[in-house]
Amino acid sequence: MTRVSINPGRVDWSGENPGIYLKTDPNGEYDALALFFRVALSPYGRGHAAIVLGAPDEACGWPEVSNLIMTDNQRMMRWIVDGWVTRMPTFVGKAGLGAMTWLDCDSVEKRPGNLKTRYSETLRGSGVTLEMIWRDTGPPLPVEVTKANSATKAHEMYSVFLEAKEAQIVLNGTALPGQVTSRQFFGRTMSTAFLAFSETWVTPAGDL
Amino acid sequence: MPLPTPITHGTVDWTGENPGILLKDAGGDFSAMALFFRVAWSPVGQGQVLLLYGTPGEEKGPLEAPNVMLTDNHDLAGFLKEQFIGRLAAFRNAPAFDALPIRPAQAVRSRGDPMSHRYTETVSGEGLVVELVWEGLEPPKALELTPDQVGTGMHTMFTLLVPAREAQIIVNGHALPGEVGTRVQAGFETTTAFLYFSETWVIPPVEPL
Repeated sequence: MTRVSINPGRVDWSGENPGIYLKTDPNGEYDALALFFRVALSPYGRGHAAIVLGAPDEACGWPEVSNLIMTDNQRMMRWIVDGWVTRMPTFVGKAGLGAMTWLDCDSVEKRPGNLKTRYSETLRGSGVTLEMIWRDTGPPLPVEVTKANSATKAHEMYSVFLEAKEAQIVLNGTALPGQVTSRQFFGRTMSTAFLAFSETWVTPAGDL
Repeated sequence: MPLPTPITHGTVDWTGENPGILLKDAGGDFSAMALFFRVAWSPVGQGQVLLLYGTPGEEKGPLEAPNVMLTDNHDLAGFLKEQFIGRLAAFRNAPAFDALPIRPAQAVRSRGDPMSHRYTETVSGEGLVVELVWEGLEPPKALELTPDQVGTGMHTMFTLLVPAREAQIIVNGHALPGEVGTRVQAGFETTTAFLYFSETWVIPPVEPL
């Protein structure tokens, strides 16, 4: 199939969007979900954020349960949560997403080190320190996703994924329970912990 | 538009951001050139690299307009110079290329908003403060280019282009001479000042004979 060099759609946002989804029972539901955002370009500016749902099915926020979002650009993240996260299969219908507490983020620090062995993002603010840690990552996998294949079923997407065999979500020094497992994604079995660099979301021209 | 197969065939060479400013003199020759790299993944790790040809027509250039690379990852600068920049004719053929010094950067900072009026990258090191300024920013375009459409001639490339109608390369407070020109990319007329975000260079698989 021939490529169309200039995508006729509307670029919505672009940046980095790694995640960690953990289970205590490999056959059960997710016990902890986390997504990180480093947005380089959006109609609402640039910014960082991390969503943590330590109790995905509880309609309750921080500090009663570990359901929170930390960000330095609330308006941008309100738009991304409503337009993207709520449409992702892993987050659809999760009561914790609507109830999560919104916290300000004062700093974001990445520690790339050796990308194959350990990579982390640390967010601090509002009395919370959140560390997302990926270990034992594989080679970069370039992906390009049509609307039909995309997680939101509404956008086209380009990205570079690196699967991680191990990962942790550490909130104020305590690791949330669960281990990395596998899921079907992009037509293959993939880890539920992943780095996602150079990610761009586009609304198809036919939907504008 | 994305192809229906979600996994792009090939090997990722590197991915990240790669904005640039190429200024021309009245005769149409390059008077100052800069490329900036914020690399999220490469075989030699993450990092940031500034390539500055303050005086493209000379091997070294004067103190106020030097030819130099500044970086926080020396191996990355070497990788990009040999594997990427060296495949771009406008840079490879410059007198400065072979002896281009690679120096440490002490600080790198981006400011502004690429979907608003102004965006900057500032790189400091070795007594130099180099500020790249893009203004007159146009809406972003998502590009998917084949090897015959890219400067290296050997990659499939995905990127997000934000053209700029105006730009400056400022070295220690003094703007280098020259104006933004025009160029054609994938049949689309654009400018020689550009932001490129979420850019991925993929080496396609070798086709069986």
